[in-house]
Amino acid sequence: MAGNNENFEKDNASEFSDETIRRFLLGELSALEQPLFEQSLFTDDGLEARVRLAELDLADDYAFERLSTHDRKSFEQRFLLTSNRQQKLQVSKVLRDRFSANAAAGSEKGTVAERLRYLFGLDRPAWRIAFGVLILLILFGTAWLVIKEPRIAEQITNRIIPRRSPFPSAPREAGHPANTSMPEHQITPSPMPLHDRAAAPPVGVSVALTPAVSFQASEMPSLNLPKGDQDVVRLQLVWKPDQTGPYRAELVTKEGSSVFSAEALKPIDSGAGIDFDVPARLLKTGDYQVKLSRVDGGSKGSVASYYFRVQ
Amino acid sequence: MYKSGVALRLPPHSKDMSPAKKLHILRQDEFDRLLRWLDPDPERAGLTYEKIRWRLVAILASRGCTRPEELADETIDRVARRVVDIQDSYVSDKAIYFLGVMNNVHHEYLKRPLPPRPTELNDDVEAKEKTHRCLEKCLDKLTPNSRRMIERYYAEDKQAKIDLRKRIAQEFGISLGTLRLRALRIREKLQACIEHCMQMETL
Repeated sequence: MAGNNENFEKDNASEFSDETIRRFLLGELSALEQPLFEQSLFTDDGLEARVRLAELDLADDYAFERLSTHDRKSFEQRFLLTSNRQQKLQVSKVLRDRFSANAAAGSEKGTVAERLRYLFGLDRPAWRIAFGVLILLILFGTAWLVIKEPRIAEQITNRIIPRRSPFPSAPREAGHPANTSMPEHQITPSPMPLHDRAAAPPVGVSVALTPAVSFQASEMPSLNLPKGDQDVVRLQLVWKPDQTGPYRAELVTKEGSSVFSAEALKPIDSGAGIDFDVPARLLKTGDYQVKLSRVDGGSKGSVASYYFRVQ
Repeated sequence: MYKSGVALRLPPHSKDMSPAKKLHILRQDEFDRLLRWLDPDPERAGLTYEKIRWRLVAILASRGCTRPEELADETIDRVARRVVDIQDSYVSDKAIYFLGVMNNVHHEYLKRPLPPRPTELNDDVEAKEKTHRCLEKCLDKLTPNSRRMIERYYAEDKQAKIDLRKRIAQEFGISLGTLRLRALRIREKLQACIEHCMQMETL
């Protein structure tokens, strides 16, 4: 309280501080301060005007919950004793309801950011300069990395942007089911990126096909479809390629409708033929033909035909 | 209580009067004499009377008196009764005379303090709605600039008070102290307007 007295005497020499006025309203002036303040209040119209405004400010602070626990208690016990002040508090509460409610919705999202900004003092010029320098350092560092270490930059770029080069044996699926007379448009799916190879669907059934000249029931190999929708049927097209390829395989129904095709096929490592994977879901019971051809530049030459039956 | 151009009537007596008050009820002529003593001009006398009463109440509340309005009225009553004796001889600041009498009244109160009057905060829905209606009416009476300032001043988060007020002050191109003063003066106008509006709605 001694400190308060010193402040008070200083105040009294010039004028009372807002803090002193607030302590008067909360009944917290010392025995020395109180009579001097009372005397001034009775003779100084300016002080009276300030005390009247401080009353409103205090009522607002109470309504907006900006007072400490101690001040709230003093407010209720020492301030809120007159009907006039109670009316002031009523208006403060209405102002709070009227304006804070509007602000709450808009500021709710920004509240956390605002508080953090306020907590860390992010408005200070020192922070602004520090952030500016940091951004410049990052920019220079990135530029240096790109110029001096292109290989690192390339690696980073490759990781961020996966290669879009076509998969060598990217299959094409006909846009219509087998054994129907749907239009002949085809949907060409985007080629699979390299890293998708590992996630290729499992081979449900594998059957070796030898070249033939027609649908001959007695010689046609048959297969049973796997149950999984994601499974593929691997058609091992037995043939001794004399060229490295690339080859194209097309699956057609007995009626001649295209079901599925694969481009850029290459012989398997042993050189005994070509694996032609067909999604099992595209196959239905019936007879099928596989047309194998070699693609040489823009031209296409027929190599062999294979026949099989799905039971 | 006092309205410009209207003769000030004797204020209504409270239900809980101090012992001194019971001995003598203030008469209208005594009250009129008090006003004339304060100022020959009735309008200025009324304003002075209101000021003195407000100051008495503020001081008594600050002293921890639980019935500041009653003790302030008791003080005024005592001064009014003595005006006839002192009006020719008292030459000092008249307001200070009230302060002296108030000290006596408060001293008597401290010997036998009255129990605190329960706080009557009008929190019922109807009163709130009425206050809200009056607030809207009074906001409409403000100038666009004043209205914008008061809306910004009160649309604040409790934790970000200082930060937001700095920004508002920058926005209006004034200092923080000026902003507070201007906002509180607008608030004062609103308070008076709302109180008047509430009285009119009650009638």
